[in-house]
Amino acid sequence: MKPRIGIFSLTGCAGDQLQILNMEDALLDLVSHIHIVDFQEGSSHKEEGPVDIAFVEGSVSTETDLKHLKEIRERSKILIAFGNCAVEGGIQAMRNDEDSIDERLKEVYGVEPGFFDARLSKPLSEYVDVDLDIPGCPVEKEETIRAITSLLHGDTPLRFTYPVCVECKLNEYPCVIVESGKPCLGPVIRAGCDARCPGLGLDCIGCRGPVDSASGFAAEYSMLLEKGYSKEFILNRLRVFSGEVKEDFLGGDQR
Amino acid sequence: MTRRLTVDELTRVEGHGGVEVVLDGSEVKDVKFNVFEGPRFFESIIKTVHYEKIPDMTRRICAICTASHSLASIGAIENAFNVENTPQTELLRDLLIHGESIESHALHVYMLALPDFLGYPDAFAMSADHMDAVKNALALKKTGNMIHTTLSGRDVHGMNERVGGFSKAPTEEALTEVKTMLEKVQPAAELAVELFKGFELPAYNESDNVLMAIDPGERFGYLGTHVLVSGGERHQQEDYEKLTNERVYRHSYAKHSTYDDGPFMVGALPRVHLSHDKLTGTAQELYKEHSNLVDPRNTLSNNFCQALELVHDVERGIEIIDTLLSNGLEDEGLAAFEVHESRGINVVEAPRGLLYHDYSFDESGCITKANIITPTAQNAANVEKDIRVIAGNHVGEDAELMNNIEVMIRAYDPCISCSVHLVRLK
Repeated sequence: MKPRIGIFSLTGCAGDQLQILNMEDALLDLVSHIHIVDFQEGSSHKEEGPVDIAFVEGSVSTETDLKHLKEIRERSKILIAFGNCAVEGGIQAMRNDEDSIDERLKEVYGVEPGFFDARLSKPLSEYVDVDLDIPGCPVEKEETIRAITSLLHGDTPLRFTYPVCVECKLNEYPCVIVESGKPCLGPVIRAGCDARCPGLGLDCIGCRGPVDSASGFAAEYSMLLEKGYSKEFILNRLRVFSGEVKEDFLGGDQR
Repeated sequence: MTRRLTVDELTRVEGHGGVEVVLDGSEVKDVKFNVFEGPRFFESIIKTVHYEKIPDMTRRICAICTASHSLASIGAIENAFNVENTPQTELLRDLLIHGESIESHALHVYMLALPDFLGYPDAFAMSADHMDAVKNALALKKTGNMIHTTLSGRDVHGMNERVGGFSKAPTEEALTEVKTMLEKVQPAAELAVELFKGFELPAYNESDNVLMAIDPGERFGYLGTHVLVSGGERHQQEDYEKLTNERVYRHSYAKHSTYDDGPFMVGALPRVHLSHDKLTGTAQELYKEHSNLVDPRNTLSNNFCQALELVHDVERGIEIIDTLLSNGLEDEGLAAFEVHESRGINVVEAPRGLLYHDYSFDESGCITKANIITPTAQNAANVEKDIRVIAGNHVGEDAELMNNIEVMIRAYDPCISCSVHLVRLK
């Protein structure tokens, strides 16, 4: 029996399921090894019943998202948080500490509290058990294929447990912090992108989220302060893909 | 007796939306194009962020039109700070947005829309009987993504195009490879026209449409500074607020736009209808042969127009690369400029229509105010108009009616994720 796969999406840009459609060379081969029960962006075919592997992209940002996520958890053996929104809450979570949802609705849509069913953006793990993370904004195609292949063989997919800096050094790219003083997040962000941005002479913006041991955030923060960047500038950088980086965390050791 | 018909979740579209039709006997009481994609408050999130990182953030509004958002964003910033770009930068950006059109249209025309007309739930099922079509789609899509990867750094949410130019110029070898791929997929683009010319435009979807598209200048394309309206008007991009009056509705996180108090359409049909004289080569020949399929009174024409644009995109892509190669590529670095308190507005054509970014900055170059208006938000009112038209024409049984409505909505190639981020910051 082919494994039953669901590709679900909550609030986000749908870029992670697009990465599945972007696997042009492998797509038809991949699809022949699995049975797709739900893939809203790619198909009108939908089935009820149990799911062996659920890929869930997007963050929980509405009551509807939350209900949908709980239903998916209920029917799925393995639930994968697929992409930065699902793993960390995404770019839409970066101001969770600053504004309430009511303030934002007022500011952005000019409406009163309760007009919509919106809530602060949160990662899946805030509400349900998550069996595996595939990080990235968007996810890497190769990492996704490797993860699916491992799961189909009954193995646990490998996770990157070291920072982007390691890949940058292996590629022998000039360090953009040292060479040009750019506010690179490579020291604290999870590897797996082959240090693509430093390879183009750009600073890492952190789209793969914090590496498992994010104890480096405090050091990154003080390093950037020393380089002359303002506190607001640094927080605006660190928070984009790393969920709620609390200010007090920046002075401590643990996330 | 009142009946309420619904499509709970539109499939084979980007993002989360649905349809509601209320009928009383044969009378159409109410129609709704529901957008229940959650809001992400981008305009609110980007406040206080330094201009240099704004495009990295706003391009994440959408995955399929990430380059359109990035170029709209970069252009607005450059307009605010009077940045002068080199001819090489202009050519590379033109190639990038044509590449995005290839990738997006290949996905929509072949894999999302075509199954409707051949009677399959998706492209995977369709591949059992139409492997050729699916393989052509994947080859085209791959070529579009290859342009994106070569110029922007990866196929979704790239990083190499910056304010003032490109961080690293592509190599001549890489561009030559892209050109070879483009030449290979020319037949795949033409096959899209071949397929869609066979599908008649149904009379039940006919009504008057106001069409809006960019003025592409001398050649058909997706960049410019003015907007054309089907009545013959031409507006500068800075007047966009007049063209896109917005309202908030409870059933939709997308604000709805109106022009002259009525709905209007943006996308491939408006572009081709308003600027077909700017098409060249095979695209122009195919337009002349099938101009009856570019019907401003039938929004389902949008599928055919996207197919026609695919032919244009591939040909134009080859031309741009030829020009770049004959000029020779240089690592020019980024243009120098000074930041100051300022406001900048920019329009581009995303694959699904006009896209505006409007930013204000303080004296240090940090953002104080933003407004982003996406194509699907502009189309939302016109989609509801079309739902009303189809429902009023009483085509077939309820299931058939709702299916026809879904096919019509899909033809707009809606990007519902995008549509929820049109937000104004005080």
